[in-house]
Amino acid sequence: MKERAILRSAILVFWTLFWGLSVVDKIIPDVQFLWVGKDFFALFIKFFGSLGLKDPLFATVALAGVSGLEAINFSLYLIALLSLRNGDEAITDTWFFRAILASVTLFSLFSIADQVFGDRFQLLEHGLFWIVLIASWIVFKHAPISDEGPVTWTPSKAGRIALLTGSALTMLTAFSIWNFSNATFAQATAPVVGEEVVEDIYKFDFPFLADKRTWEATVNAFMEGHPGLRVRYIYTGPSELNSKKKTHLLLYVFTEPK
Amino acid sequence: MASPPPPNATQQLVRYAILLYWSIFWLFNLVDKIVGGAHFLWVGRDRFAQFQKYFESTGLGAPDVANAALAFAGALEAFAFVFFAGALLFEVQRNTAASRRWSFFGTLLTLGTFTFFSIGDHWFGDRFELLEHTLFWFISLMSWVVFIRLEAAPTADPVTLPKRQFMTAAAVAATLVLVTATAIFRHNTTDFHLRSDAVAAEAVGDHLYKVAFPFLGGSTVFENTLAQFKKTHPDEAIQHIYTVPNPLRLKKADALIFYIITEDQP
Repeated sequence: MKERAILRSAILVFWTLFWGLSVVDKIIPDVQFLWVGKDFFALFIKFFGSLGLKDPLFATVALAGVSGLEAINFSLYLIALLSLRNGDEAITDTWFFRAILASVTLFSLFSIADQVFGDRFQLLEHGLFWIVLIASWIVFKHAPISDEGPVTWTPSKAGRIALLTGSALTMLTAFSIWNFSNATFAQATAPVVGEEVVEDIYKFDFPFLADKRTWEATVNAFMEGHPGLRVRYIYTGPSELNSKKKTHLLLYVFTEPK
Repeated sequence: MASPPPPNATQQLVRYAILLYWSIFWLFNLVDKIVGGAHFLWVGRDRFAQFQKYFESTGLGAPDVANAALAFAGALEAFAFVFFAGALLFEVQRNTAASRRWSFFGTLLTLGTFTFFSIGDHWFGDRFELLEHTLFWFISLMSWVVFIRLEAAPTADPVTLPKRQFMTAAAVAATLVLVTATAIFRHNTTDFHLRSDAVAAEAVGDHLYKVAFPFLGGSTVFENTLAQFKKTHPDEAIQHIYTVPNPLRLKKADALIFYIITEDQP
């Protein structure tokens, strides 16, 4: 394949997957085994509820409309990708243009909704996606990417060194990942040991792997280990108490003698 | 493909900057995976915990699943680093054709990595990371376009400033550096103790006390504050601590504020 064709494929694959998975996320409701996704139904219900439109019909119709537009987007990108695979450049350009036009229209609609619902962060998010789409189109259509000769990987000395170095780094990384996983995975469920930082007040520094099961194990282990104490109150340390990215969660347990 | 003409000085510097940026970007991503966890002089991000929780949320809790996904991402990153570093070496040797070929493979691996991450973001429902990865995907694409555009558009931009302009800029910069550094060191001298000093609790109602944290405050300040409060209020027991939520704070002017609600000791 030529350099230009490879990059055009990369752009089309990205956007086809983007819209394809967005549609899948709308088809699979809520959290299921092997799929989490985002609960857009709950989001739309809350958005419309904030406008005073509490009837779920409004959110349902809006979400169905958005999903339909996303499905159209996905179909347009898929046709463009298949046309590229068949080597028909003019048809690919036409369908990709239609796809980009449909996508920027959809993000424009999202942006209008963000302003109506007062969600400025989503407005920024949709604005950024919008400009990335426009830029994708410019690169796809107008970037001065070489259309000469196919891109080939000729086995040279430098190429062999790159292959060896990449493989060695991959093995080193994989070894470190498995090693770290074996060393820390127990933290996902093991109780955290508390430290008495003030008289009758214990601090628990939770690891990044910790979840609700760790919390339950920690509180139970603490009560078993301190039979003379009664837990009065548990305070979750707000993020301001954390050492930036190093601390995951701080918990303070206030106790009193039984 | 015929070797393009070598770029001129300003373009050359930008091409070095692009290759250096991506080489360092992928090298440090790789180092972060190799180091694993927070250590002295390295915090990084606990990717294993992140991946493990993502897969756990879909019902795939076995650590090997997270490890395999992380190792695959690590492989893409390792080869992206190798190709960008190789492109940089060829660029230094003024082998423009080889540099272009190697950075092209580096860019493809970068696009592939961010596409792989974006699939995960949809799957795990993390829309913020989807935006982040799409932006990186876009930055990678645009940096490739800029990189190749600089091959073919030679201009006569000088990289050196005239001596008079250089001296003026250096004098202004040096003055600003001096003023800024003085202000920073003075702030450190006057305020660093706030990193550990206890904060006085202000009585704002019956058995109700307000604690307004300084921006430097962390867990040490919190613990020292509680210790001091217990010492100065021996007849009261802490019944509850209420953290003021963000909407009730004055935008960026307020740091952490919490209220201590007490009751008389039995």
